Amino acid sequence: MNGIDVLGPQISVLVAAGVVLVADALFPGQRRLLPFLALAGLLTAALWTTSWVGRGDYQTVFDGTIVLDRYAVFFQYVFAGVTATVILASIDWVNREGRRQSEYYALVLTVCAGLMLLAGARDLITIFIALELSSIPQYILAGWGKDAKSSEAGLKYLLLGAVASSLLLYGMALLYGVTGTTILPEIAAAIEAGGESYRALLVVAMTLLIAGFGFKMAVVPFQMWVPDVYQGAPTPVAAFLSVGSKAAAFAVAIRVFFEALGADFLSSDWSMIFAVIAAVSMTLGNLMAIVQSDIKRMLGYSSVAQAGNFLVGLAAISVAGEEFILGASGILLFVAAYAFTNLGAFVAVIAISQRINSDRIADYAGMWKTSPFLALGLAFCLVSLTGIPPTVGFWAKLYVFNAAVRADLVWLVVIGVLNSVVSAYYYLGVVRVMFLGEPGTEQRFRASPSIAVALTATAAGVLLFGILPMPLMSAARDAVEVLAR
Amino acid sequence: MLFLAAEPSAALTPTIDQAVLWAIMGCPLAAWGLIALYLRKLPAIAGYAAILGIGAAMLLSYVTLFNVIDASGGVAQYTREWFTAGDLTVPIGVRVDGLTAVMLVVVTTVAFLVQVYSTGYMQGDPGYGRYFAHMCLFTTSMLGLVLADNLFQMFIFWELVGLCSYLLIGFWFHKPSAAAAAKKAFIVTRIGDLGLLAALLLVWTRAGTFDVTAIQEWAASGEAKSALVTLFALGLFAGAAGKSAQFPLHVWLPDAMEGPTPVSALIHAATMVAAGVYLVARFFPVFEASPDAADVVAWVGAITAILAATMALVQTDLKRVLAYSTVSQLGYMMLSLGALGYVAAIFHLFTHAFFKALLFLGSGSVNHATNTFDMQKMGGLRKHMPVTYWTFVIGSLSLAGIFPLAGFWSKDEILLDAWRHDRALWAIGAVVAFMTAFYMFRAIFLTFHGTYRGGEPVDHHDPDNHFHGDPAHPHESPWAMKAPLLALAIPSIAAGWFAYDHMFKDFIEAALPHEGHHGSSFEIGIAVSSTIIALAGIGTAYVIYIRRWVDSSSIRATFAPFALVFERKYFLDDLYEGLFVRNIFYRGWCRLLETVDRRIVDGVVNGIGQVGRAASSRLRAVQVGEVQSYGLGVAAGVIIIFLAVIVANPL
Repeated sequence: MNGIDVLGPQISVLVAAGVVLVADALFPGQRRLLPFLALAGLLTAALWTTSWVGRGDYQTVFDGTIVLDRYAVFFQYVFAGVTATVILASIDWVNREGRRQSEYYALVLTVCAGLMLLAGARDLITIFIALELSSIPQYILAGWGKDAKSSEAGLKYLLLGAVASSLLLYGMALLYGVTGTTILPEIAAAIEAGGESYRALLVVAMTLLIAGFGFKMAVVPFQMWVPDVYQGAPTPVAAFLSVGSKAAAFAVAIRVFFEALGADFLSSDWSMIFAVIAAVSMTLGNLMAIVQSDIKRMLGYSSVAQAGNFLVGLAAISVAGEEFILGASGILLFVAAYAFTNLGAFVAVIAISQRINSDRIADYAGMWKTSPFLALGLAFCLVSLTGIPPTVGFWAKLYVFNAAVRADLVWLVVIGVLNSVVSAYYYLGVVRVMFLGEPGTEQRFRASPSIAVALTATAAGVLLFGILPMPLMSAARDAVEVLAR
Repeated sequence: MLFLAAEPSAALTPTIDQAVLWAIMGCPLAAWGLIALYLRKLPAIAGYAAILGIGAAMLLSYVTLFNVIDASGGVAQYTREWFTAGDLTVPIGVRVDGLTAVMLVVVTTVAFLVQVYSTGYMQGDPGYGRYFAHMCLFTTSMLGLVLADNLFQMFIFWELVGLCSYLLIGFWFHKPSAAAAAKKAFIVTRIGDLGLLAALLLVWTRAGTFDVTAIQEWAASGEAKSALVTLFALGLFAGAAGKSAQFPLHVWLPDAMEGPTPVSALIHAATMVAAGVYLVARFFPVFEASPDAADVVAWVGAITAILAATMALVQTDLKRVLAYSTVSQLGYMMLSLGALGYVAAIFHLFTHAFFKALLFLGSGSVNHATNTFDMQKMGGLRKHMPVTYWTFVIGSLSLAGIFPLAGFWSKDEILLDAWRHDRALWAIGAVVAFMTAFYMFRAIFLTFHGTYRGGEPVDHHDPDNHFHGDPAHPHESPWAMKAPLLALAIPSIAAGWFAYDHMFKDFIEAALPHEGHHGSSFEIGIAVSSTIIALAGIGTAYVIYIRRWVDSSSIRATFAPFALVFERKYFLDDLYEGLFVRNIFYRGWCRLLETVDRRIVDGVVNGIGQVGRAASSRLRAVQVGEVQSYGLGVAAGVIIIFLAVIVANPL
């Protein structure tokens, strides 16, 4: 079987993309079923992944370039879930838009395949290919809308993404030049064997890698595209960008920095860089979010700040052992928590904005009266983003901050905690407007069934894992233990 | 299920079934669920559901109290593992001892009476059902906080309490002042919560446990470095200072008076604001182990007590007098805890809850008759509302510390502890006692004596106004409101008598892991002196506001600078909001960043584009320009990171 079945989930998602395109051509009258075909593809992928978990059959294939371990499995689940939610949240918008429906779903699935491939990639070239596989369709999707703003967003994202990719590629090339290999553990071994004399080159390579991944993570100073693209891109796509590519960037960053660049003389540097970037991202993201009047821009800056929280965990993983497990599993927990929470928030925003035809926060006034379900769902997700119990966001923050305390990054935790107060200001500001404001019209409206399913699922995740975080925590721990040697 | 034995110092363990303890939390929670799901649109039943749920919790609390009394205040704890992840083990459990039992009784009794009162006070409000739902949820959170056996659980309920109070203060959300007050309360208390969160992380990483008993022993054993214990204690106190409105975080409480008056009676007199005092008392051994932290607590308490008392002197709004009085009395309790007077602080918390709730409800009753809280529009109400008047007088006498009412006993104990600990603290306490007696009787004379000044006419054009009756002809309130006043008058008189024969002291002290002197009982010298001080305060008010030997406005004119400082709340609000939040933070910092982000980075090209290009070409120009500057930013970021590494860690 030379390992091709290890790529089963990715392949089934891609096959689903093809089926969606063909089905549209063959049965143009049955467009309503397209999203369900896409969902079926994702379900197949998830079941395929589950079958390995059941068998406990973990392996490294394709000459060590692709690995199937608990870590990859964790992220495959996350990406399948994120994509499924995005598809559910897109149905209304796509139907209303009316054109090129099958292409939209096919592109979303292609992104998903790329992200899933990234989860198991353990080789620089594979990582780059997977990253591009997930990025290129995202550029197209960002420009999917009919208006000029969307085209602008797509083009901007494409050009800046190309810059970031090229930086990443330079970094990888340098790394290959120094070590003579592209496989992560072998890079680590080569650096161990005498890389210290090439420190300057390695630092340059490291910096370029940070820039490349930082762009996808959307952290300062690589975040400038975020508000423009979030605001311009269709909202379901913005939701996808805010969760999917961010999670993927962290997934691969943990692997690259810990598995390949874990040598002491490098890790002390990148740990400090990540800590500083985390502090700056949290602070800038939050402060700029405060003054936004457009909810999508606000969520854009908030996602920058949240990426800072993720980075707190990344800064804490420089030491192997318990600190690594805490920090890395903290990031994984945060990824899952953030996926539920931010998607939930975006789903509600999609539904509300479509209805009121505005993204202005002021226009959300009195939403509690016109659509209590959406208002409650959005409020709940915003509370989780703030990090107030009993929501999963609280646990994620607590876990990451604890890891940082263990890694003697107390100053960073202080900044992080202060920032979570600042963030309460604008997150709860939206809640206040929705619950305490007077609605423009008294007319009530309901969410469509697909939106209702997506919002219920995400909000239930936020609450359920907020009360019983145990399963999620142990899954995250199991996932990172395989990396900790 | 794990059953932990009681402390060695407690001879007996209460035999109360843990199901009862969970049910105390469960009853109001069930009422909340019922109201929130089904009864929001059925106001007639919603109020009764709340009364029933909280009433059941009250009965169970009394059962618990008597059970704990039988066990001489011993500790019973029921813990199980909530979940474990890695080295994080979070327990879930309940703990009952003398302190818990007293808090349970205070919270449920006041909550129950406030619900009864609310059925009258909130009659006809369009948010009637929602109101009772919030009240039930709040009561649940507060009981959960009191019953928690570990810091973690406490923290969760602590946050829930904060969230509920946000909802209740902002209950009349269409009033901008109410919405602003709710936000202020939430943000300010959250600043304090940061300290609590820091303490939580600290104790987790350093002591490895959340359990109350284990933390108490960890602090007392001397294993930990004293600086660490001090840090932990100060973190706890920061949280407590936020919730209990201690200087400099006291600013939210007076504004919180925008909520309905029964809410103020419940959460700003008896429960939520007492949570901070409770937290410090719960971890009292930690403060004992750290004299520095205890001194901070004592002095912050003393400063709060006297600042708030001075501000209460000049208020013209009856409810705000009570608000500042509450802040002042909470400062008193903190002072006592800092002076290592554990028993006295809890005793004062206990008595204060009753007479302050009584006073708040009394002010609500006055408002019900006059449609205002402005004392300049009242006067002479004694004749029209005898029940309100007499109960208000009882509450005020108790607060002023007149023998043999409840406040006398508890205040005396605090002053005695302060006297023994530090004379300066006693002196502040005595001055505050004088001011307390003065401002309460000033309020009584302005409100109930003299001639009626007409109240606030009802504005019938205001859709938010639900006032019934005629303010020009004030009337006594209905029985639903009078009965709780009368019921609260009883403990306001008698709650202090539990001091007899060290009853309260022994009961409360058993909750601490180590025997020791945690409070004094009675000393005739202190008792006489404080009575004289209180009577002097009342007498001063009498000669100014009844006899009018001195004109109150001429006093104000003489001390104009002081009065201005008091009236403007020591300019703290101006400092916080005007300077920090609005100017420095919002206008300055955030706008600057926004400007850098939008204008300098991409605005230049935007601006050129806007000047005169056709839409299509403009789009292209804007895009390309912005993208270039963004790309420049990325490149700059790379270079900065590289240089930073090289500088910090030369090759």
